[in-house]
Amino acid sequence: METSPAIPVKYDMEVVRWFTIMAVVYLVVGTLIGVYVASELAWPFLNFDLSYITFGRLRPLHTNAVIFAFGGCTLMSTGYYIVQRTGATKLWSNGLAWFTFWGWNLIIILAVITLPLGITQGKEYAELEWPIDIMIAIVWLAFGFNHIMTVSIRKTSHIYVSNWFTMSMIVMITYLHVVNSMAIPVSLTQSFSIYSGVQDAMIQWWWGHNAVGFYLTAGFLGIMYYFVPKQANRPVFSYRLSVLHFWSLTFGYVWLGAHHLQYTALPDWTGSLGAAISLAMIIPSWGGAMNGMMTLSGAWDRLRTDYILRFLVVSLAFYAMSTFEGPVMSIKTVNALSHYTDWTIGHVHSGALGWVAMVSMGAIYHMVKKLWKTEMYSDSLVNVHFWLATIGAVVYVVAMWVSGIMQGLMWRDYDEYGALTYTFVESVSAMHPYYAMRAIGGIIYNLGAWIMLYNVVMTVRQASASRSASPVPANA
Amino acid sequence: MDVESMTTNDWLGVFLAVAVFIGMIYSYVMVFRPANKEAFESQRNMALDDDDHINVGEKR
Repeated sequence: METSPAIPVKYDMEVVRWFTIMAVVYLVVGTLIGVYVASELAWPFLNFDLSYITFGRLRPLHTNAVIFAFGGCTLMSTGYYIVQRTGATKLWSNGLAWFTFWGWNLIIILAVITLPLGITQGKEYAELEWPIDIMIAIVWLAFGFNHIMTVSIRKTSHIYVSNWFTMSMIVMITYLHVVNSMAIPVSLTQSFSIYSGVQDAMIQWWWGHNAVGFYLTAGFLGIMYYFVPKQANRPVFSYRLSVLHFWSLTFGYVWLGAHHLQYTALPDWTGSLGAAISLAMIIPSWGGAMNGMMTLSGAWDRLRTDYILRFLVVSLAFYAMSTFEGPVMSIKTVNALSHYTDWTIGHVHSGALGWVAMVSMGAIYHMVKKLWKTEMYSDSLVNVHFWLATIGAVVYVVAMWVSGIMQGLMWRDYDEYGALTYTFVESVSAMHPYYAMRAIGGIIYNLGAWIMLYNVVMTVRQASASRSASPVPANA
Repeated sequence: MDVESMTTNDWLGVFLAVAVFIGMIYSYVMVFRPANKEAFESQRNMALDDDDHINVGEKR
């Protein structure tokens, strides 16, 4: 890497610090709402007959909180952090970065207000109404422009692969969000999609799966390719493989959305194409997961003592598992059993709890130490958090696997006369133990998030106290 | 194949599919070409080397 060591590099890290803190806060809030909605499914009296807290209104609040609040703050904090450090430059515009911080948090507050009120476009993972959609586009473009301009003023000759993944996410999410959110407003709080029928479904899942592919995968792979080598203190196993991983994922992911719509009014070939490309995507996904894992070659013993590294490695195991499970579920014969069942929920959460959140937690713990130039308040609590997160995720996912496969088998079971063996309500009744088990898994996972918040807050306070006692400035 | 009934959207889709396919082939050739190995792998340490920037000073 070519740098100019004679020139001091001045980073803009205060905005990164705030995004990092808010990511942890939203992790706690988002998973807490998740626990509540999971409990509502197990024990419906928790609705308390209040429309504001029914499952239908709180569920989108949960998904928005974990994906866009927690995930978004994590992506922006790590995006700004990595692009500065790997480019040996400060941000192109610190002011624009602060605009993204306040803008993004304002959007989150508006989501918290509007979704429980039932103000929604009714599009999954794109529920927010049109004025908020416009705000999202503006803030996201500000983040993207600032990131890309920072890349353009870098002092290094090469653009590190993490930045490629982040820029791919920025470009594609802009395109997806704008196209999917096209709507005709009839009032400030109501609008109708410009698409209808099967075209609406197709556009919705083109967005839906690519939000997974570019926001929850490409963005977090950028995190993985920076923080795994950093925490392991080992170079990336194969840089060539990381480049191949990037281009294969970028070219391939956009074709997958139709696999969400097997056996619908969508032309049959589109679902087959989605499934075929999904299966092809196992190759780059597993190549990337192996690349991350093999980065630890010669340093596996560090897993005994480095609890942050444990988060990162287990996240890669979940990444490999869920990127195998997804393509299998997209095959029509498997999809006939799995679709509309809790298996899908289990699959999503093995990716969300196991991959996205775990890699984020590892990255955040790593950054907190660097940003506040201190050690963690308690390494033991990091370890406790790791086990709670791992056990919570496994309990959740296993509950949904069993529940989902049982649902699918009950729904398709016929007696000797060709009549359905089970009524729908019997299948709902059979799910109860697994819904309770899912809520318990969520509680365990959420408990870990509270511990992380406590540990991070105490670490920041410890660093502040240390700074007050010493004239030496704390650098990022 | 009924070429006569192909719409503009169909042709656009065909063009994009072929362009992406060629792009994939190009990226595989570029990455696996032995002559490029050194250039790619020389970046392996990039994430580790960024601590050097810290040592030369940075903003609070």
